[in-house]
Amino acid sequence: MTGTLLFQSLVLGVLLGGLYALLAAGLTLYFGVMRVVMIAHSAFLILAAYLAWYFHEQTGIDPLLSLVVTVPLFFAVGVGMQRLLITRLRPVTLTMMSVLLTFAVALFIEGMIGFVWSGTQRRIQLPYSGDSIEFFGAQIAVVKLVAFGLAALSLGLLYLLLKHSRFGQALRATIQHREAAQLVGIRTDRVAGYGFGIGLATAAIGGTALSLDATIYPSLHWHWIGPLMAIIVVGGLGSIPGAALAAMVLGIGQSLLQVPLGTTWAQTIFYVALFATLMLRPQGFFGGRLAQRF
Amino acid sequence: MALVVGVALVLSFPTIAPNPYILSAGIVVLSYACTATAWNFMGGFTGYVSLGHAAFFGLGAYGTGLLIRDVGLPSFAAWLLAGALVLLITIPVGIAALRVRGASFVIVSISFVLILLLVFQGWGSFTGGSDGLVVPRPFPDMLRPQHHETFFYLFAALLTVMLVVWWLIDRSRFGTGLKAVREDEDKAQALGVPTRNYKLVAYVVSATFTGLAGGMYALWFGDLDPIFQFSIMLGAYMVLMALLGGVRHLFGPLLGAFIVGTGLEYFKLEFGDTQFHLVAAALLLGAVVLFMPDGIIPAVTGLVRRFGPQESSIREVTAAELLERNGGTSPVPQPGATAGSDGSRTTSEAAPPDPNDEEDPR
Repeated sequence: MTGTLLFQSLVLGVLLGGLYALLAAGLTLYFGVMRVVMIAHSAFLILAAYLAWYFHEQTGIDPLLSLVVTVPLFFAVGVGMQRLLITRLRPVTLTMMSVLLTFAVALFIEGMIGFVWSGTQRRIQLPYSGDSIEFFGAQIAVVKLVAFGLAALSLGLLYLLLKHSRFGQALRATIQHREAAQLVGIRTDRVAGYGFGIGLATAAIGGTALSLDATIYPSLHWHWIGPLMAIIVVGGLGSIPGAALAAMVLGIGQSLLQVPLGTTWAQTIFYVALFATLMLRPQGFFGGRLAQRF
Repeated sequence: MALVVGVALVLSFPTIAPNPYILSAGIVVLSYACTATAWNFMGGFTGYVSLGHAAFFGLGAYGTGLLIRDVGLPSFAAWLLAGALVLLITIPVGIAALRVRGASFVIVSISFVLILLLVFQGWGSFTGGSDGLVVPRPFPDMLRPQHHETFFYLFAALLTVMLVVWWLIDRSRFGTGLKAVREDEDKAQALGVPTRNYKLVAYVVSATFTGLAGGMYALWFGDLDPIFQFSIMLGAYMVLMALLGGVRHLFGPLLGAFIVGTGLEYFKLEFGDTQFHLVAAALLLGAVVLFMPDGIIPAVTGLVRRFGPQESSIREVTAAELLERNGGTSPVPQPGATAGSDGSRTTSEAAPPDPNDEEDPR
């Protein structure tokens, strides 16, 4: 492997890792607030990508502008989903049953996408789709850079929201200890609903970013959910910094392995990391008390 | 009684099936019943929901096919050996997966299917990749309807073995330990149930039976493709069937498999390649999880009990009956009598006894 090629894959890995980080942050947020493994996360991701594609197809405007619609829409859907579906489950079996419920939602979305837009592979053609810029000898496609920028920006906003706002404090308190949060006067139900909405909003942003340079089809979400779930376990369930860091490391790892092994085998790094984590440190590398119990 | 009728119906199905297609649909339903019952060894007893049991189905199927093709074993020897291989593979996987509970366990189970899908698609020279793997038929000189009929009985036999084993575990000390894990794992552990080993054994038994069902499917169907063998959908159907019927009941998964399997065959026939079966399965799964998490069997028995006699929450019991039930030793106070006699207790013959008297007879 030459130095340039290595550098190129490293840069691509960072760009990919950024997108993974944003999506894994959303996934870990659901787990934090509700102890729910949201299998439908990547299905919503693909749905957002389809909406961006459809928006571009119908209006011809840049698909990034579809975010104006999809982000609030997904936020509302997330709040509604938490309120109307997740809270109806019995608390004792919530974790297991919510997996099945969100699995059903994922199947429903996949089926409906296939029904409405057919199973054909779709791709957005943009004027700058083929453009790339040179960065210390590495060729970086502009669309990947835009996607990364979008992911990094949203992740930064999410960080600011969680660390420096009253709502963020309430949300983190809910994640840390629900009953204690209730005792100090936080309306945990409402906060959990908003947390769910924010998680789904990350899927909207990620999906739009994904639609810029990926070919999309209804069953694509299965290729995303596995790596994302592996990331949140490796990072430690419920830990957002852990998820972001694990996403970066594994994204770079996947990108580097793609050169000698090819795309299919490179994807196994996520599962190898998952099994290694379980054997060495079952609670994940950044997870605390919470991770092992659920 | 119902059991005898059910067995008779299953055994006579090949003779009353109007055409080979219906018979083959019957085999598919029966193979679903096998996988769902196998899943229930883990899901029903311990409450650990595995969405990745398709992995063991696929391993059993591919193991059988590859052992016949590359080693040249006779069909059913390959089938048994593939089952043993699945057993050996499951032990390390189970140890890794059972180090965590709940959510992480589900994630691991799904990941195991996805990793095997990648491996079997990527390693084309060994597994045939996406081109598929052709498994030689075990009875080459049989005609198609005869072949179907034989395999119908083979699947029925496998299912019977599974049901008997499930029934035995259900009444054993081991089964009680597993159910204790399901209800409260920490308490079970505190009471001295070796939870990890119990869970591991249940997981291995469940996986091995799933593998055997997969191997049988491979021998019957004769053509394997990673997409269909290592499909998350297959694992999800197992969960759906078991939950729909009722995971705590011996025949729950079988009933669920009958309903879901028949429905799936119908959807395939009516709507062909559209995505409708996904939507239908999704809606059914959502409805079961939200409204009927215990399954049909408890729901129906609950309904029957509700409309049956003597089970309403407000009971009408006459004083005489109550007297009889209490052993006839102490006379029962009658509220109406005291209220009506405006306090003149001494004059009334049927006066309630003194509080002191009430304690006496016991």
